[in-house]
Amino acid sequence: MAANIHCSIINRKRNFLSHCVINMAASVRTFVRSLSRKNACFTAVLRRSECRGFTGAAEDRSTHFGFETVSEAEKASKVYKVFENVAQKYDVMNDAMSLGIHRLWKDALLHVMHPQPGARLLDVAGGTGDIAFRFLDYIRSQQEKQQRRAMSLGQTPSWRDISDGYPAGGGAPESAVVVCDINKEMLKVGRQRADSRGVTTGLSWVVGDAEELPFNDDQFDLYSIAFGIRNVTRIDQALKEALRVLKPGGRFLCLEFSKVTNPVLERLYDAYSFQVIPVLGEVIAGDWKSYQYLVESIRKFPDQEEFKGLMEDAGFFCVQYFNLTGGVVALHSGFKL
Amino acid sequence: MYVNFRYQAESPKSDVARRLSVLLDMATLLRGLRAAGALRGLGGVLAAPTATNPQFCRLRRGFYCAALRLQDESKSDKASSSSSSSSSTSYHEHYQAHSAQQDTAGQHHSDPAAEGTSSSADGQSEYQDEEYESEEQLQARILTAALEFVPLHGWSMEAIAAGAESLGLSSASTGMFINGSGELVLHFIADCNTKLTEILAEQHNQVQLGQAEKKKTSEFLRDAVETRLRMYIPYIETWPQAMSILLLPHNIPDSLKHLSNLVDDIWYYAGDRSTDMNWYTKRAVLTGIYNTTELVMVQDSSPDFQDTWAFLDNRIQDVVNMATTAKQVQSTGEAVVQGLMGAAVTLKNLAGLNQRR
Repeated sequence: MAANIHCSIINRKRNFLSHCVINMAASVRTFVRSLSRKNACFTAVLRRSECRGFTGAAEDRSTHFGFETVSEAEKASKVYKVFENVAQKYDVMNDAMSLGIHRLWKDALLHVMHPQPGARLLDVAGGTGDIAFRFLDYIRSQQEKQQRRAMSLGQTPSWRDISDGYPAGGGAPESAVVVCDINKEMLKVGRQRADSRGVTTGLSWVVGDAEELPFNDDQFDLYSIAFGIRNVTRIDQALKEALRVLKPGGRFLCLEFSKVTNPVLERLYDAYSFQVIPVLGEVIAGDWKSYQYLVESIRKFPDQEEFKGLMEDAGFFCVQYFNLTGGVVALHSGFKL
Repeated sequence: MYVNFRYQAESPKSDVARRLSVLLDMATLLRGLRAAGALRGLGGVLAAPTATNPQFCRLRRGFYCAALRLQDESKSDKASSSSSSSSSTSYHEHYQAHSAQQDTAGQHHSDPAAEGTSSSADGQSEYQDEEYESEEQLQARILTAALEFVPLHGWSMEAIAAGAESLGLSSASTGMFINGSGELVLHFIADCNTKLTEILAEQHNQVQLGQAEKKKTSEFLRDAVETRLRMYIPYIETWPQAMSILLLPHNIPDSLKHLSNLVDDIWYYAGDRSTDMNWYTKRAVLTGIYNTTELVMVQDSSPDFQDTWAFLDNRIQDVVNMATTAKQVQSTGEAVVQGLMGAAVTLKNLAGLNQRR
């Protein structure tokens, strides 16, 4: 009762759902946002368990975990455990399972994204930072291309131009990427990779839940979630959060496994998924069950058209999708207009 | 304004198009929509359900027809003179047909190649303003805003990004334009064509009302081409880039369509009603004149492009001379043939072959 009154006092512009759970989450979320980002990593994990503990509603609703049925409360913690286990070998396994094709998929995501200089990207479920690194490389090569074009026009930059190019406080907005993941292990691996690549600026690592992002409204130009949204317990909630943190005109991009369109390819793909991938998981990472969960969760995820419908329901416009590798992976894109 | 079904005039035969009553209906209601502007909000409400579904288009058409008949009548009352009311309504319809074609053309170019653009609106009260304006309208607005930045960035995605930012949208919204620079150039050209049609229609009205003198054909053509080319002056530095973009294979069909509409409009308002081979030759000639003058303009550095207008004058004079020469040749040829026939008959008489026994 007190919690409900507390929530009604808090002015939430975009609180569409009327569930008790979400109202509780809203009150706790504003509390979280008032803390700095570093502290969020402690409260994030506590927050979720508190939420679930306060009401019994989440435990009554069930959802899928692979082919099992579990309660919503359990799914989040089970997914957390899966990724905690696989974090160290995540990149190696990706290469092994997809025969390196996942790199092409992620490159395609960046090409479709085509970020303009000065864009800010939020990469959710971006644990080990694949998309973030590609984004920074893309921006840097674009800037180099622009500089080369300016040079080729025969204008040698004056000393004033060069000194203007030095990063100044309060200048044009620099591109930045924020990597957000619910799992600290994955972020740790990502940070190690960033250090080994020597990337220091324009990148930050935040622990956060896709269903309750620790950011204010209208913050980001681009939101991407690559191979992460099928692990989210409530997809519609994640989509609404994405809509909230995007600026007007911002773009939502989702790369995810989807339904294969060709029936022959589908049979091959199923055989490969269920026979080969868990075996690879056992051999390389020593974890059969996590990779069994992976292939099962792919089957449980809605197909291209359904996900497009979910995006439109959440309020995205100009929703379209591209099938990559014959439908094995689909890239969905929508705008907040 | 949300005409998303494609009227492809495959060849510039707008006399056939004119005869399609379906097109006329559509055109009248579109013209009324644009001119009045009063139904914009109404149109927005009706567009909210789905933007691209042709069934809805037909529904909307049926709805609007009644409302716009009234507007159309009021407009034609204003503009028609006593003697030629039928021709003036046909002018209106033609004008509307062309503005409709240009509207659809303009919007097709700002239409992304998206399967199923959506505008579902469950409980999105915050975005209601954007919804009532359809996605195509928003894209048209972004492109218009981007035109300001063209002198700085050229005809490119950067200009579109700057335009979007000037409207308060994130630069990521450029993702809606798959063929960014092409769409920008085509949008600009469609805009210019619409403006030219308005100017020509206005002049035509003036002549009909008796407030202005009717110009000679050659003078009319010259003025029309000059007016149209003057619209490029603010962008003349980057116009070569735009021309090269228009020549890219995926842009050629659209740019040819715009060009043919432009030339057809100019000839129509010049008074051409031919229905034979002349229709094609006239348009071909004007296309040649227009393209060559455009090329001269791009590299012209004289004050106020005087060299270009002099070139235009000369070309039109050439065409006029050629027309008179052709007539002379024809009449000379006829005279020569008659002379020969006469000589042949005389010879036969002399040789006694014409006698009848």
